[in-house]
Amino acid sequence: MKLLIKINVNGTEYELAVKPSTTLLDLLRNQLLLTGAKKGCELGDCGACTVLLNGKAVNSCLVLAVEADGQNVLTIEGLAKGEKLHPIQQAFVEKGAIQCGFCTPGMILRTKAFLDEKPDPSKEEIKKELSGNLCRCTGYTKILEAVETSKAYLRGEEPGEIEYQPQKSAMNLSVVGKRLPKIDAPDKATGRAIYTDDIVLPNMIYGKLLLSPLPHAKIKSIKTEKAKALPGVKVILTGADVTDLTYGTSPPRYDENVLAKDKVRYVGDVVAAVAAIDEETCYKAIKLIEVEYEELPAVFDSMEAMKDGAPRLFDDKYENNINTRVDHHFGDIEKGFAEADYIKEARFVGNRIYQNPIEPHCAIAEWDRHGRVTVYTSTQVVHYVHHQLSRVLNLPLGNIRVIMYNCGGGFGAKAATNMLEILSILLSKEAGCPVKMRFNREEMYLYGRGRHKQYIDLKIGVKKDGSITAVKQKAVLEGGAYSSFGIVSTYYAGSMLPTLYKFSNYKYDGYRVNTNLPPCGAMRGHGTPHPRFAFESLLSMIADDIGMDHIDIRLKNAMEPETRTCNDLDIHSCEFKACLEKVRIKSGWDKKKGKLPKGRGIGIGCGGFVSGAGYPIYRSKFPHSNAIIKVQEDGSKAVLFVGDADIGQGSDTVLAQAAAEAMGISFDRMSVVSADSDITPIGFGAYSSRVTLMGGNASKMAGEEVKKQILSIASEMMNIDAENLDAQNNMIFEKTNPDNFVPWDVAATNFFSKHGPLVGKGHYSPPEGLGGNYKGAAVGTSPAFSFSASVCEVEVDVETGKVKVLNFWDAHDCGTAINPMAVEGQVEGAVVMGMSETLLEDEVFDSNGKMRNPDLHNYLIATSADIPDIDSTIVDSYEPAGPFGAKEVGEGATLPVLGAIANAVADAIGVRIFELPITPERVLNAIRSKAK
Amino acid sequence: MYLKDFTYHKPQTLIEACRILEQCNNGSPIAGGTDILVELKKGLRQNEEIVSLMEIKELKTINENGSELIIGSCATHNEVLKSSLVKKIIPALSEAASKIGTDQIRNTGTIGGNLCTGASCCDMAPILIALNASVEIVSSTSKRVVSLKDFFIFHKETSIKKGELMTKIIVPIPQSNVGTSFEKFGLRETASISVASVCVSITSDGNICTDSSIVIGAVAPTPRMSKKGSEILNGKKINELAKDSALLKSIGETVVKDSLPVDDLRGSAEFRRQLVNVLTQRAVVKAAKRSINYLIE
Repeated sequence: MKLLIKINVNGTEYELAVKPSTTLLDLLRNQLLLTGAKKGCELGDCGACTVLLNGKAVNSCLVLAVEADGQNVLTIEGLAKGEKLHPIQQAFVEKGAIQCGFCTPGMILRTKAFLDEKPDPSKEEIKKELSGNLCRCTGYTKILEAVETSKAYLRGEEPGEIEYQPQKSAMNLSVVGKRLPKIDAPDKATGRAIYTDDIVLPNMIYGKLLLSPLPHAKIKSIKTEKAKALPGVKVILTGADVTDLTYGTSPPRYDENVLAKDKVRYVGDVVAAVAAIDEETCYKAIKLIEVEYEELPAVFDSMEAMKDGAPRLFDDKYENNINTRVDHHFGDIEKGFAEADYIKEARFVGNRIYQNPIEPHCAIAEWDRHGRVTVYTSTQVVHYVHHQLSRVLNLPLGNIRVIMYNCGGGFGAKAATNMLEILSILLSKEAGCPVKMRFNREEMYLYGRGRHKQYIDLKIGVKKDGSITAVKQKAVLEGGAYSSFGIVSTYYAGSMLPTLYKFSNYKYDGYRVNTNLPPCGAMRGHGTPHPRFAFESLLSMIADDIGMDHIDIRLKNAMEPETRTCNDLDIHSCEFKACLEKVRIKSGWDKKKGKLPKGRGIGIGCGGFVSGAGYPIYRSKFPHSNAIIKVQEDGSKAVLFVGDADIGQGSDTVLAQAAAEAMGISFDRMSVVSADSDITPIGFGAYSSRVTLMGGNASKMAGEEVKKQILSIASEMMNIDAENLDAQNNMIFEKTNPDNFVPWDVAATNFFSKHGPLVGKGHYSPPEGLGGNYKGAAVGTSPAFSFSASVCEVEVDVETGKVKVLNFWDAHDCGTAINPMAVEGQVEGAVVMGMSETLLEDEVFDSNGKMRNPDLHNYLIATSADIPDIDSTIVDSYEPAGPFGAKEVGEGATLPVLGAIANAVADAIGVRIFELPITPERVLNAIRSKAK
Repeated sequence: MYLKDFTYHKPQTLIEACRILEQCNNGSPIAGGTDILVELKKGLRQNEEIVSLMEIKELKTINENGSELIIGSCATHNEVLKSSLVKKIIPALSEAASKIGTDQIRNTGTIGGNLCTGASCCDMAPILIALNASVEIVSSTSKRVVSLKDFFIFHKETSIKKGELMTKIIVPIPQSNVGTSFEKFGLRETASISVASVCVSITSDGNICTDSSIVIGAVAPTPRMSKKGSEILNGKKINELAKDSALLKSIGETVVKDSLPVDDLRGSAEFRRQLVNVLTQRAVVKAAKRSINYLIE
């Protein structure tokens, strides 16, 4: 029975009838359509649903609506007065504190409650007080800056400008190289940004999945009669109702069924889909579906799974469960080790971790009456989803429209087509109405696609002077039940090692092994972070053994510009040595290394990554990124249309900067439409750190095409040859006499009047023929590579084993930083995510393959209270293949972190931890075993 | 994930609340809801009737009677933490409350709820037990006061019976020669469940520890007193309780013997034993120092 409550929300009195079991969050989102409060975990762990109840911050997911009777609620929608942002919102926008924006409403409201109570908190207090609001993108650093700025604004002060020394390559540019707030930040700060789960369509129903409770079993029968009879249930689909075509990520390994056909391979495998009038009815129906299983023996460890006689996940393929095997040999490994003066080898073990974007996956499908379906989805890769849906549904691309409005973080978790996208379409078709499907947090973990746990045997040989003569690596990746990105992950685990240090003899043996666990996929740094952790650890161990400084041994071997690596990757711009020198100075390395008191340690780690994969995921001749610019008829705005998705990393902003610079207009005249397959030309999407370089080149090219046309009309207007004209800052002027100009918008108006639409288009494909000729040579190729070095200082409580990371100094070669504030945001986010995975994160399963910590209560990620001070430097660099000299930062910045922390901990306690995560228990055990 | 339907009651008085709980089938009171709503959503418990305590104002008060601090069971963690009365007369209680959850959780979660959930990792229990607190439990027909050390029976099992409600927590106000400290070890800086916790309370007379209690959390099915640890501590000189001293180590090792830890996601039993040892030593040093601070002042 519903109860009547009176509630004041944002100053408006409501009388509402609610069910007692309705949470305040659902009341706000579903009844009042105030979707600024987000559903992140539903269990009070993430804080995305934070609202103020009588001025106090609460998790609205853990407040019953009936308990808010008679009380005042403030949501993010009620904070700004009219169009004017609240000072806290203003500060968050200006300081770059907003990336995906999913945590932002809660974070801002928590800040308000806190500053209302205490207007001048210290930095440590802010860190502690904000720790109930998880953010996975920003590393909290810019959020803390925004809170400091908020304090000043609320006191009526104007905070001082940040001093920023522009890079040499950006000196003469007017839009590129500027620290501009993200174009979408005001919408995200006010709760106006729409995420998939915020969309409610007329007559929409909901869908949920029945997941396997067993790790490995044959499906004998499925009975759905009882579930179908439940009032409110509209459609139930099982394996028998869907195509036999398998799908996945890499075409050679399409091994997933839309719904399980004959067997289930892990706890969480998808057995059936239900659509009903609400989620609650779906859950009830799921319990009524009767599945008869015949349980099969299961295997959960990759080493066990490879053994002869181990249970097989696929009878017809992947012998010994080895799903991918890589056997690479470059140079002469025997000769390389023979030349070495010193050889060291060790085994390192990674951890199985999950991306944990704060926004859960969500998809909504709606068919029209002409046989066309529109899918709204939270994805990084609109085009790949579009392509895969076309394949699985047997529909032409033109009959499918894929739209991503806003994506609340991905980090690889949303880099492929998922079952929500497919099944919402199938359910919607059957039901004849739109269907929304979303994962809850547990379902996110079970869908998986996180980082593979790797066992790495690494052996490095060096000369007396530290130069590397040979590297041998064997990596075993625990892959879970299906392939996902795994084939690529396995290649990446090997192919990235030779890009950072020069060595010519290299042997890599990679194995990806199926187990009865959630599938692993591509997570930030894709396949590379664990090998990089191993390599950076072993290199520092070798330096110690041969009496060499850890930075010196890296400088000795550091990659140099215009080098072809032993595995045929072409490095062009490379300022790795500058990165090393920078962090050496900034961290005070020479004064600290080996001289810190017991329990304190300092360590270095390095990394580098592709600026976009050289080849697409499926065979295609399409340009990888494409852009169209349409100039408003009066020249007041230029709209950039790009297929690549802004998932919070800020690509809409960065691509608009590139386009504006190319056209000669200011940033405030830009507008962006992205990631809509009907409207935007294809872009392969936000994965492999590709968008800045590839989307940037396409956007720049489109801008140049506009510029060419507008210069020609200006040439007519000014009676000066077009080649003697240039455009910048909304003016078209004579190069030799800038005082002779016409305004850009006047020229644009003139153009439209004479020639119709002023439109430019651009496209980008990587150079042809990247990489060598051996099997798997494509993985690791890229038009450009990033480089970075990080020094980390830690304090270890030697009695409890707890590691506190105090400082991080990072220097990154990302070419020209198109938006330095966004680059810092990527680095800070990567440092904190990397720290979190190094120290805290691990997926744990019971003996039946059931995940024991599928939530944010037991699977801990770093909060604002855990973060170090991060100092990030962008070194001078120019990449000829990139737009205005730019290359990647998103994934590369993760890579140094694991090794840097491991090395710092080893320095602090005098003994090395070889297995991730570096938990207090492991640290304490290591200290004790050393004492013995 | 969803909340199953339930019947919602919002009684105005304590007696009414007890009567409803007594009569209803499979009912539960709800205070802040931070534990019960999680358990209901996860399907770990099924309650058909939910009895809200929010209208019962007497459960929210915090006051003192000269010898005791009396905290209403529905005072939120933040109300305890920020109460000027609590800060003035038992600051260590405020300190313990600050280590619970996040601000959002502390704004809704209550001290009574924290105790009644009966989790061994409950962060308010060790200090309250160390301070010899008791709780008042009422039903529609009776009222009893139970010492908190007898309140916990097993993990998630307390002495509250059907139809009963915890109404207040009664904490004897410690004399100025009592020093208390609470050491918690969580895997994150904040917002983490205790892997182990230790509370030590020391009464000193001059330089002598005349009385003490040591309570350990998250390392046994319930928060647990270490009598053997106290026995060593009692009668010892405060200035002998120095870091790394043999005496301190023997206290740490003895307290470990009173723990009954298990392996779980947060750490192994062996790791917990080590933590109990270290945290005990730290808490003893801190409490000892605090117990003689009045001499210095």
